[in-house]
Amino acid sequence: MQSNAALEYDYSLAKKFTFLTILFGILGMIVGTLIAAQLAFPELNYLLGEYGTFSRLRPVHTNTVIFGFTVSGIFATWYYLGQRVLKVSMAESKFLMVLGNIQFWLYFIGALAATVSLLLGFTTAKEYAQYEWPFDIVVVLIWVLWGVNMMGLIGIRREKALYISVWYYLACFLGIAMLYLFNNMEIPTYFTSGGLGNPLHSVSMYAGTNDALVQWWYGHNAVAFGFTVPIVGMIYYFLPKESGQAIYSYKLSLLSFWGLMFVYLWAGSHHLLWSTVPDWMQTMGSAFSVVLILPSWGSAINMLLTMKGEWNQLTDNPLIKFMVLASTFYMLSTIEGPIQAIRSVNAIAHFTDWIPGHVHDGVLGWVVFMIMAGIFHMAPRMFKREIYSKKLMEAQFWLQTTAVVLYFTSMWIAGITQGMMWRAVDEYGNLMYSFIDTVTVLHPYYAIRALSGVMYLTGFLMFAYNIYKTMTSGRELTQEPQFRTPMA
Amino acid sequence: MFFHWLEKNPFFFAAGISLVISFAGLIEIVPNFAKSAQPLVDMKPRTVLEIAGKNVYMKDNCMSCHSQMIRPFKSETDRYGDYSLSGEYAYDRPFLWGSKRTGPDLHRIGNYRTTDWHEAHMLNPPKIVPGSIMPAYDHQFENEADLDTAYAEVVTVKNVFHTPYGPEIKKGQAAWDAHKPKVLEDAKKIAADMKDERVKSAIAEGKVPEVVALIAYLNSLK
Amino acid sequence: MNSLMIKSLVFSAVLMIATVYVVMSLDIDIAGDSVNAITMAGALAIAVLTGAVSAKYINQMKTDTVSGELADENWDGIGEYKNELPSGWAYTFLAVFIWSMWYGFFGYPINAYSQIGEYNEEVLAYKAKFEATHKNADEATLKEMGESIFLVQCQQCHGATGDGLSGRAQDFTARMSKEQVLDVINNGSNQLGYAMGAMPPGMASGKDAEDIAAYIAGGLKGDAPASYAACTSCHGADSKGNNGMAPNLVAYDDALINHTLQNGKKGIIGKMPSFKTLITPVQEKALTVYIQSLAN
Ligand code: HEC
Ligand code: HEC
Ligand code: HEC
Ligand code: HEM
Ligand code: HEM
Ligand SMILES: [Ca+2]
Ligand SMILES: [Ca+2]
Ligand SMILES: [Cu+2]
Repeated sequence: MQSNAALEYDYSLAKKFTFLTILFGILGMIVGTLIAAQLAFPELNYLLGEYGTFSRLRPVHTNTVIFGFTVSGIFATWYYLGQRVLKVSMAESKFLMVLGNIQFWLYFIGALAATVSLLLGFTTAKEYAQYEWPFDIVVVLIWVLWGVNMMGLIGIRREKALYISVWYYLACFLGIAMLYLFNNMEIPTYFTSGGLGNPLHSVSMYAGTNDALVQWWYGHNAVAFGFTVPIVGMIYYFLPKESGQAIYSYKLSLLSFWGLMFVYLWAGSHHLLWSTVPDWMQTMGSAFSVVLILPSWGSAINMLLTMKGEWNQLTDNPLIKFMVLASTFYMLSTIEGPIQAIRSVNAIAHFTDWIPGHVHDGVLGWVVFMIMAGIFHMAPRMFKREIYSKKLMEAQFWLQTTAVVLYFTSMWIAGITQGMMWRAVDEYGNLMYSFIDTVTVLHPYYAIRALSGVMYLTGFLMFAYNIYKTMTSGRELTQEPQFRTPMA
Repeated sequence: MFFHWLEKNPFFFAAGISLVISFAGLIEIVPNFAKSAQPLVDMKPRTVLEIAGKNVYMKDNCMSCHSQMIRPFKSETDRYGDYSLSGEYAYDRPFLWGSKRTGPDLHRIGNYRTTDWHEAHMLNPPKIVPGSIMPAYDHQFENEADLDTAYAEVVTVKNVFHTPYGPEIKKGQAAWDAHKPKVLEDAKKIAADMKDERVKSAIAEGKVPEVVALIAYLNSLK
Repeated sequence: MNSLMIKSLVFSAVLMIATVYVVMSLDIDIAGDSVNAITMAGALAIAVLTGAVSAKYINQMKTDTVSGELADENWDGIGEYKNELPSGWAYTFLAVFIWSMWYGFFGYPINAYSQIGEYNEEVLAYKAKFEATHKNADEATLKEMGESIFLVQCQQCHGATGDGLSGRAQDFTARMSKEQVLDVINNGSNQLGYAMGAMPPGMASGKDAEDIAAYIAGGLKGDAPASYAACTSCHGADSKGNNGMAPNLVAYDDALINHTLQNGKKGIIGKMPSFKTLITPVQEKALTVYIQSLAN
């Protein structure tokens, strides 16, 4: 069972998806930084004519970072670690390789085309499900290809028991498949009207409150199965692998996993508190959200405990730093979300900048950190070269950590301020602030966020550069490192 | 132990996940579908022009800054008017509640803003509301609204979801040609309260700029 | 306490102090509004719990060592301990689960709680508290009240100073412009709901109309042009509207503001919507006093 060296894994797909992860990461974060700056300096809305306004670019940002960057990261890491924990090489099945390559090219072209379609204004308007129906079909195809590939690899595995990471990737696949299908039920109007209008246009199968329910059942769980589940899958592989430490507790892994699976799905209505959905559903969403702290923290704690006694690794290996900090940010967002899901808190937090604040301590501190850590770990193994610069990695870590802290603290204060200003009444019981007062007061925070965007983006470019140099001029390795990633 | 067995049997493992994650969906979504939010009495679905405006709203993604959901708090009903009711959204496909208020709620904007105000505001928000960070939408004065697609949408929701439109809404180009003058008439009424030269001349040529449709939609939000 | 813990608690404290400071500097009452208070408590809980718990575990990397029995299996060299659940975690899980049952069945009883019911109570409580006190509010109070309502509801059109944003809406620092008066003379008007009903078009024309308009826009000073007689039959000899039968042409009197808020007004400048549903009688009174104060 211990003889890992015998197998030669095929990393070609992992490499390809790694390139896309970096490409979409850069694109998505450039746009993120631009829209952050637009809220502080509105003149920046007019750089690209009608295509450059905040409102057109916002979905370009969200979709590029989610369906471009994060999903590529998921694929890249799966095509790397899937083989390893199942102890089977992709190269052992021609069929799976061909399938994987079709998936890659379809995904690459599809993601680019879908982004352009959003820029042109073709959208079904539901958050994180904006793509019009032809792109939905492409998404489903890609997902099925990935699923078949994953099942296929599992089918020919040598390792009998599925490793924890595989549980999570499997859940990611199943969860997104189910959610995406239901939420994107839409009817193309061209065919039902006798050939009128734009063939891309469609209407939702659901209306009003029902549509909202389906959307946020999806939206919340898209976060769960896109930003949480596969990322937990990553950390369960990369942290113990990089550190050489065994997972602290199987029981904790087990309970956290099944707890997460069970509880997550119920919490969607916390996006609809105080809306017109039935009161009892809102109550359920609130209650389950708070319960959700525990299975979420379970994984994070399991990871931190795995590093028990390994202080020297933490101080000495920037890769470990990334992952430990990612666990911490994961803890932050998975207690912040539940508390924002409490009715009274949501009365303030909903609709304010505190929500994007919550979002970004999750995505910047957790999702991006983990994906970058994964790539840092994989690169020397995929390219058979040492990481180009440890110093650069250190610098990047501190720059980006500062950026995340600036992002979430500025939006935290901005959101709470805004929410309380909307409610504030003067001594006569009339509203104290006009809406525009609540906008202008936020300027400094928007400026700080824009700055944090520039810093974070710079850090990501440093990462991209480091990987590029690793590929092209890192010191060559003769042997695949077992645990710690070699870096110059 | 059961879980060890499960971890060696991927098929059952996957089935287990699917089971665990699907019944929350059943409980959350299905009951409300059964007694699905009914339209309010006498509620009329939006006209073709208003739907075209809704599509401009979606295209320019106003939801990224504006909500359409007045929550039952005194602070919100004072600012925006009555709290929103489920039935009011019964014909909205998709729902456009939004999740962020960088700008104010718009669910009842038709009650307290008017055509001429919107015209000036869409053209240059900070000029009307000093300090506004809303972008100017000059291109909406140039681009033509996609009435064909709006009509196709109206036909679709009528035929597929039985949204109560009149008998004149029918499939096909001929029916659309017959209905179109009515839409242009609606657009003319809106444009009559507007000053922009581009709008005036487009309307004179029988074309409808996006902003006219958008304002028709905003005026319908009451 | 270890230094990591102290650092994280200091960070939480700084963040919370900054938040509270910003909010208080905007005159917002935190303790007096339970929603605000709960939110601040929630924010505090987020910062402190995350900081303290993660600091605790990260510190263990320094101070503790791993122990436990390894499972037989390993994947790609990754092993697994058979350690028990951390007890704090397990008990908290249980406690939170029990809390959630309480929340659903007693806190917000699933079959009984209604947010609309809560809203109605909130509004009733407000009415009881404020309506009575405002009944006999004095001028100064009303003016102050009026100003803040104006800034929330009216400034988007009339401008923060009530000057009408260079001709986009009524300029309250003056009465009517020549252009506005001429428009009404030429086209008549019937929308404000005065007892007199409609004002017919063409009561004057040509130079007469011009003179009248200039006279009214000039604030009805000096001698009225002879043709102005056509107007006084309705607007009164003093042009003050004949006891509310027609609009007062001299000043923004209570009746005019009431009619405008109720019915809205479309004129040559643009259209003002009706504020029937948004403005309460007390607020209207306050707005009236405020608008009247702008004229001089
Ligand atoms: C970058 C954010 C942003 C975007 C995008 C945006 N708005 Fe706004 N909007 C605001 C802000 C801030 C205000 C408040 C200040 C003002 O009135 O300009 C506002 C105000 C408004 C108002 C006036 C509401 C009121 O109660 O006074 C309307 C109507 C409006 N926007 C419509 C739109 C439409 C339609 C679009 C899309 C085509 C849009 N907005 C896009 C930020 C935005
Ligand atoms: C038959 C009665 C009658 C006569 C005669 C009349 N008015 Fe009027 N006037 C009214 C009424 C009634 C209104 C309110 C109209 C409405 O409801 O829109 C009004 C409104 C106005 C207004 C608009 C006031 C505002 O604040 O909106 C002006 C200005 C005005 N009249 C000027 C004149 C002038 C100048 C003349 C003579 C040339 C004149 N009126 C003759 C009945 C009359
Ligand atoms: C959507 C824009 C808009 C808003 C909001 C608005 N107004 Fe107006 N208002 C106008 C316009 C435009 C006119 C001028 C109409 C004309 O004579 O052409 C006007 C005119 C008036 C007049 C003069 C009526 C007359 O006949 O002389 C009064 C009084 C008035 N507004 C009060 C208010 C008050 C009080 C509020 C807030 C509660 C308010 N308005 C909000 C647009 C608005
Ligand atoms: C340079 C880094 C980034 C910056 C500066 C940035 C900035 C922004 C801004 C300004 C918004 C809009 C907020 C608003 O409407 O008020 C936003 C939204 C969003 N971003 Fe980012 N972003 C960055 C990176 C990312 C990454 C890497 C992800 C995901 C992996 C991400 C996911 C999201 C999501 C999901 C939203 C929507 C939030 C919501 O609707 O509440 N962002 N971002
Ligand atoms: C215990 C887990 C979590 C809970 C209970 C939770 C809860 C919430 C709540 C209550 C909101 C605000 C809804 C609103 O009022 O608009 C929200 C928004 C959001 N959260 Fe979380 N959150 C959790 C974890 C996470 C994590 C880990 C991430 C990402 C990495 C994340 C990403 C988001 C996003 C993207 C939104 C914005 C949705 C929108 O567009 O409106 N959440 N979450
Ligand atoms: Ca779609
Ligand atoms: Ca959102
Ligand atoms: Cu959620």
